[in-house]
Amino acid sequence: MSKLGALQQAFQAYVLHADDAMRQEVASTPQASAEIRLDIYASAYRLRLIEALQTEYTALHAALGDEAFEQLCMAYLDAHPSSYRNLRWFGGDLSVFLRTTPPYADTPILAELAAFEWAMGLAFDAADAPSLSLSEIAAVPGAAWPAMSFQAHPAVHRLDLHSNAPLLWKAVDAEDDPPPATHATHPIAWVVWRQDLRIFFRSMAVDEAWAFDALRRGATFADICAGLCEWISELQVAQHAAGLLKGWVESGMLWRVYSEAGHDASRH
Amino acid sequence: MPHSEQSLLQAPLGFGLGLRIPHYETILQTRPAVDWFEVLSENYMVPGGKPLYYLDRIRALYPIVMHGVSLSIGSSDPLNRDYLKQLKALAQRIEPRWISDHLCWTGVENVNLHDLMPLPYTEEALRHVVARVGEVQDILGRRLLLENVSSYIGYTQSEMSEWVFLREVAQQADCLILLDINNIYVSGFNHGFDPAEYIDAIPVNRVQQFHLAGHRNQGDYIIDTHDEPIIDPVWALYAHALRRFGPVSTMIERDDNIPALDELLAELDQARHVARQAHAQPAVA
Ligand SMILES: [Fe+2]
Repeated sequence: MSKLGALQQAFQAYVLHADDAMRQEVASTPQASAEIRLDIYASAYRLRLIEALQTEYTALHAALGDEAFEQLCMAYLDAHPSSYRNLRWFGGDLSVFLRTTPPYADTPILAELAAFEWAMGLAFDAADAPSLSLSEIAAVPGAAWPAMSFQAHPAVHRLDLHSNAPLLWKAVDAEDDPPPATHATHPIAWVVWRQDLRIFFRSMAVDEAWAFDALRRGATFADICAGLCEWISELQVAQHAAGLLKGWVESGMLWRVYSEAGHDASRH
Repeated sequence: MPHSEQSLLQAPLGFGLGLRIPHYETILQTRPAVDWFEVLSENYMVPGGKPLYYLDRIRALYPIVMHGVSLSIGSSDPLNRDYLKQLKALAQRIEPRWISDHLCWTGVENVNLHDLMPLPYTEEALRHVVARVGEVQDILGRRLLLENVSSYIGYTQSEMSEWVFLREVAQQADCLILLDINNIYVSGFNHGFDPAEYIDAIPVNRVQQFHLAGHRNQGDYIIDTHDEPIIDPVWALYAHALRRFGPVSTMIERDDNIPALDELLAELDQARHVARQAHAQPAVA
């Protein structure tokens, strides 16, 4: 290895886990010892990465409190040193870390809160794409509706949560007292999206969530109607599905419509 | 100072600010008298949404320069081609007047410390950096600006001063310099060198931009925090630099404790004032 490479490895090892070897490489002065000087880098590193996590996870931070949040950050930092060029992505594994690491795994709302906040962050700077308009769907001839399929907007994220994490987030955002954590046996479906640069989220009923997930997998309108028959009578299912579709379009959750396999009928 | 046909430098842009999120709306609504903005490249290396929305709009009103923190030009890791591809794509989108990063390394073994780590000033490091700057300039299709960083340690293995190292990098790699006046002051304090000696050793024909910023003095050392107004000795050093380099595009960096835009505009006016006075006085031989 080059001399430069060895030096950089040693310095990095000092910053990451206070490895001693670096001390002899640094000049001490009457002003400040090598150790004091090196520690400026080591502590700045921690502060900077903790701050990045605080920015992405404000509700989780509020839920845990300063001290516990900082402890979590340190544990995460040890397990996941950043390999990203952009600090923006550093916190992406926090939800999985919380779900799989004791003692956090014992409090499932923490991982769900992290997943929810991360999804909002992803929606914030997801790719730009024009939203589908109602007139674009209306232009698809009736006979082509059964074969019609869609693509969701790139800023849309779906989550299934057992806890009331989104309500906790809402309380923190409004600076209200957070509600007590709850844990349901069956998860509730949530969708996070962006419209006109603003982030929105709401829950979805079971049938709507199923239909939306089917749409995102590329199901046709006919497939979606057939599947919805588990909850809706056959007589009303087409109207119900059209109603769901209208709601998604009006919220800006959809991007493209294909009038038949592979044919993009979107006009934007 | 006239820029001759042969000049390596672009004409000065005047007095700029770092583009910061809390000021986006105010900038669009009030179109403040800022000559140009410097943007942090990495903040806009995202797929879409608000950051790029505002950048495109502000770009339509002001000249922009791109300033990166993750190039890691001095790292012993291979250059990150993916990062360079994204950097180039962003440059194609916003057509910056120039692109800068730091004379430092940010991590090895695929770790990013997200900090500007100083290099040892050795012949080996010099060769390494010079070769990499060449590669980066080939990819970007333009000269890169490298900025001197604030540092808190000195390596026992260093063989030359920081200013000789910076000068040699710039001349051997044929790149340009973003001279951070505050960083020279901070490092001068931390390492006990004379900031004026540093400035006087930097080649006049390679300095495209200045940075000014505030910092925290901890007594025994200074931490470069960019969260305070610029202090008087740094203004004095800025005047000294202006007398050597002539008019150079100058911007104020404020990254934390970000005040209302008006406060930074007032500080920018102070920079204009210092510059007018410095140019009115002949250079001290
Ligand atoms: Fe700087």
